[in-house]
Amino acid sequence: MLKVLIPTIMLFPTIWLTSPKWLWTTTTAHSLLIASISLTWLKWTSETGWTSSNMYLAKGPLLTPLLVLTCWLLPLMILASQNHINPEPISRERLYITLLALLQTFLIMAFGATEIIMFYIMFEATLIPTLIIITRWGNQTERLNAGTYFLFYTLAGSLPLLVALLLLQQSTGTLSMLVLQYSQPLQLNSWGHMFWWAGCLIAFLVKMPLYGVHLWLPKAHVEAPVAGSMVLAAVLLKLGGYGMMRMMVMLDPLSKELAYPFIILALWGIIMTGSICLRQTDLKSLIAYSSVSHMGLVAGGILIQTPWGFSGAIILMIAHGLVSSALFCLANTAYERTHSRTMILARGLQVIFPLTAVWWFIANLANLALPPLPNLMGELMIITTLFNWSPWTILLTGLGTLITAGYSLYMFLMSQRGPTPNHIMGLQPFHTREHLLMTLHLIPVILLVTKPELMWGWCY
Amino acid sequence: MMRGAQPIRTLFLSGHVFLLFAVMATYKEASLATRPKTLDPAEYFNLSPDYRRAEEKRAALRAQLKRQYLQQLNNPHRKELIEDPALTRWTYARTNNNYFRPTAKTSLIGGLFGVLPLFALYLVFKTDRVS
Repeated sequence: MLKVLIPTIMLFPTIWLTSPKWLWTTTTAHSLLIASISLTWLKWTSETGWTSSNMYLAKGPLLTPLLVLTCWLLPLMILASQNHINPEPISRERLYITLLALLQTFLIMAFGATEIIMFYIMFEATLIPTLIIITRWGNQTERLNAGTYFLFYTLAGSLPLLVALLLLQQSTGTLSMLVLQYSQPLQLNSWGHMFWWAGCLIAFLVKMPLYGVHLWLPKAHVEAPVAGSMVLAAVLLKLGGYGMMRMMVMLDPLSKELAYPFIILALWGIIMTGSICLRQTDLKSLIAYSSVSHMGLVAGGILIQTPWGFSGAIILMIAHGLVSSALFCLANTAYERTHSRTMILARGLQVIFPLTAVWWFIANLANLALPPLPNLMGELMIITTLFNWSPWTILLTGLGTLITAGYSLYMFLMSQRGPTPNHIMGLQPFHTREHLLMTLHLIPVILLVTKPELMWGWCY
Repeated sequence: MMRGAQPIRTLFLSGHVFLLFAVMATYKEASLATRPKTLDPAEYFNLSPDYRRAEEKRAALRAQLKRQYLQQLNNPHRKELIEDPALTRWTYARTNNNYFRPTAKTSLIGGLFGVLPLFALYLVFKTDRVS
């Protein structure tokens, strides 16, 4: 763990001491090195649940894929931001990359944390760089509104979590996850315990997001610059999912009854947000709502608490992280060329950008969960376990899959096929950097088809 | 000038050639077709002068807008997008929820699709799992 954390911390001197000519090259190379070191974590040698070199940071089959995803995303974020940050003065560029690296550090520490309090502190700490990125480097005036929604929704959800964790600490004497998984199941039988149960989970459900409290997500995703959108969609949502998976271990006896409203919200949210996607005019907003839809499926899978549900949730989280981030990069390429996110404006791009049309195609196929890709495998596992939970859910999840296919196809056809508008000219050809960015997003998704054991979590 | 007419040439003593065209074309529509609106003489005869002036102003505005668009379209040094204010207004109207007011109808739809299914699904799942 330290072999990744220390290079990430040393990224800060790298950013501030490099000469301006070499800033982007050095930071991208440094973060790519960190990413390749993190890939060594995927070699799973021990059979136990966790391997840790010290008491505070550990890695396990549940969180190793998420950690690798986080480390993999930093060079991609730096690559994606290169174009729109370039006009700014050099110290502001450095500040931007510093914020991304800070976010990375907090995320690594959050995913690797063994104490739940450390996880909580890092969970909150990731809010700050993201907030700064959204409100300072976003593009429209609505970014202030977006930052406020983002910050306060998550904070309002996580303050009950703090209280709940303190209560847990008082009753069990420890908050280390290594110890808590062996503790006796708690006697949860009163109303106060129900509030405690809700307090534990609401923070993560807001972060996931669950359908009723998802309002911050479209705002934050649309107003954030591309790196902010990427990290939000790919990793920060998964922080909520991971937190839920960890907390569910301890919350068991009460979850059977109390999970109902949240499962129902998650399932109904798949359909509602999918339908909203079909009526969107803003490209990034469409991708944001599709994130809510997929995460609803993940939330449903986690709340069911079966092994298949957990595996499906983790596979879908990894696959969705890569694909959603890829879609945001593609939307950003259209945005950088036309300075507008309206879908009907940037139409018919297949004629002018044929290779990019291939990336759009693959990303949209992955989004609609095409067969061998891990998106489908995760979705199928979750749908199956939901069917086992109650056969009526197949109506909701089946309809949700149909609507997902509908809006993914809508996004593809709207942006690629159709008549190219006459008055768009002077669109820059696609940079090699952008093609590289897309390959680095989509090749792991395709490679994961061949070895899904990397992602399966505990059910290997 | 209507091109359907025959030019009549007269030769003057100075040697100049003048062309005289007929005043208005003799347009007859096909036997089963209808005359288009712009060629129908009845459209022009009972228009008030005010209406004609207003129509001319509107046509002038349209021509100005079209000229502005064509200038921008054919400008070889243009690198950016031609801004369409109608598109801006449309996207603003669609994306921000300015035009939503909680009336009886919208509340009913919201309740029917957003609140009722939650309770209905709770009942469905609960009875299914208990049984």
